[in-house]
Amino acid sequence: MSAALSDAVGSRRRKDWPKHLIIWSFLCIELLPLYMMAQVSFKNNAEFIQNPWLPANPLHWHWENWAFAAKLILPYVANTVFVAVTGTVAMLAVAVLGAYFFARYKMPGSGLLWSAFMVLMLLPGIANIVPLFSLLKEMSLLNTLYAIIIVSVAGGQAFNLFVLRSFIEDIPKDLFEAAEMDGASHLQRIFHVVLPMSSSILGTLSILAFLGMWNDFLLPLIILRDKELFTLGVGLIYLDGEYVKQWGQIMASYFFAAIPLIVLFLFTMRLFVRGLSQGAIKG
Amino acid sequence: MSLSLSRQKIRQEWRLYFFVLPSLALVLTFAYYPAASAVYHSFFEWSGGYTKQLIGFDNFTRAFHDQVLWDAFKTVSVLIVFNLFKMIPSILLAVLIHRLRSDQWQYAYRVLLVVPMIVPGLVTLFIWKFFFDPNLGVLNHVLDFTGLKAALVGLDHFFNWGVFFDNVPIGWLAQPELILPSLFIWGFPWIGAVGVLIYLAGLQSIGQEVYEAAELDGIGPIGKFFYIELPLILSQVRLSLTLLIIATFQGYGLQLLLLGDSGGPGGRGMTPGLWMYNRAFIAGEFGYACAIGMVLFVFILVLTVINNRYVRVEK
Repeated sequence: MSAALSDAVGSRRRKDWPKHLIIWSFLCIELLPLYMMAQVSFKNNAEFIQNPWLPANPLHWHWENWAFAAKLILPYVANTVFVAVTGTVAMLAVAVLGAYFFARYKMPGSGLLWSAFMVLMLLPGIANIVPLFSLLKEMSLLNTLYAIIIVSVAGGQAFNLFVLRSFIEDIPKDLFEAAEMDGASHLQRIFHVVLPMSSSILGTLSILAFLGMWNDFLLPLIILRDKELFTLGVGLIYLDGEYVKQWGQIMASYFFAAIPLIVLFLFTMRLFVRGLSQGAIKG
Repeated sequence: MSLSLSRQKIRQEWRLYFFVLPSLALVLTFAYYPAASAVYHSFFEWSGGYTKQLIGFDNFTRAFHDQVLWDAFKTVSVLIVFNLFKMIPSILLAVLIHRLRSDQWQYAYRVLLVVPMIVPGLVTLFIWKFFFDPNLGVLNHVLDFTGLKAALVGLDHFFNWGVFFDNVPIGWLAQPELILPSLFIWGFPWIGAVGVLIYLAGLQSIGQEVYEAAELDGIGPIGKFFYIELPLILSQVRLSLTLLIIATFQGYGLQLLLLGDSGGPGGRGMTPGLWMYNRAFIAGEFGYACAIGMVLFVFILVLTVINNRYVRVEK
């Protein structure tokens, strides 16, 4: 290697560390809420006021904060898991069927139907919320978890159809023709061709749908009344409304709200990072 | 592309319509019907029950003269400007990560970026609310510690704001004058993991030779950003810009959680969406809320049309 070249590479190396420094400082501030949540959850108010920044001595950790939080928040977590899992599965199942209809054949009226779905992406959902409330009341779905699921499933259709259609269109035609030759019905074609071929995008869409429902609080806030039915969104809002705040208990509750997401991310981090990078290029 | 079909084939494949039926039924019931109902009810005085009274355009006349609503539109315009500014860190971070030599570090940073997403959005909001707390909050601690508080007090003396004082903790969410600044500071440093990943995906298509050519032409790091990197992610930036403007315009969750349903002290954080929520679910004026929704809808529609015409997003 010539001296000039190695010099050039060397200078690049040296030039990279300011970038690392800037990125790390961004990341540290970005991770601060997570850090505060974790360390405050082991302190009581007095300890927190005395020492807001550093973690407490592990020997004096207040595990009772966690016990309190578990008792309070686990039912909400269970409700939210039910809503988010059922909702995600239903949303994608319905959307795959619809996307198959649009992607495979040009049936009469499909252009019109397609625009009917796409217009929804432009419509502001907010103007709907008041009539939606009274509609759910008439259907006696108010104060049920099913209302949240069904409204979320309906709300996710336009976006998921939009993404899935283009993915299904890209599946090689030969596969479908071969399946048709073998006498496979449309449903069988979806199960044996579409699902295996679009598994990565389905994964990314599921994560997005799951996160969306996990973080939603506006819909549950107007739909749910009974404490037993609260999802995390509403539960945490009520917790925030208490007058005397035990920050340790509150932070421990927040942590519980994040645990299922931590588990989800541990298993799907790679898929998510990759899927987003690819999906972005496509969309 | 989907195949064109012969008449015979269509007759044979009519069952396919069943595939789109569930989506269609859901969307008709839970999106189109409420939308139509909102239009209809905006002409009524209606409190959510069975009794309602047709009042013509009264709701709209009232909205037109509603000072709170117009102030809310002003507030939301300020918030949109804030949010435009808040897009910058994500773009810069994506460019910084992209310019790193080592692929391993690039991947590591991508994963690290996603980590904060394990904190549910709602919880992040509440933690920020806690950061804003006057006595316990992290923000005031940091300001005291770095001496920025003294600087703010000095500026206050100079400009006579009457907001910052020595020995008085700053009430970020309690003082009307500080509501908008708080809504600006919220979420610092405003990195959106999904956004950064999408920008990075766009940047990936730049070949090394483009950089080398630029270097030969003596283009510096800032020049590279404007001539090479920004043009390549412009379509992504525009798309997130559009989505951001629409989301800010109709958003009210943030304000509802941080400031409560009346927009905080002095109503300084009131947005049109929050005012609609407030009228419907606090005051029980469902008809008027529908009318506000219509006004909002028209505004968003105009924004979308302008956007589609002048801000082209190339595929």
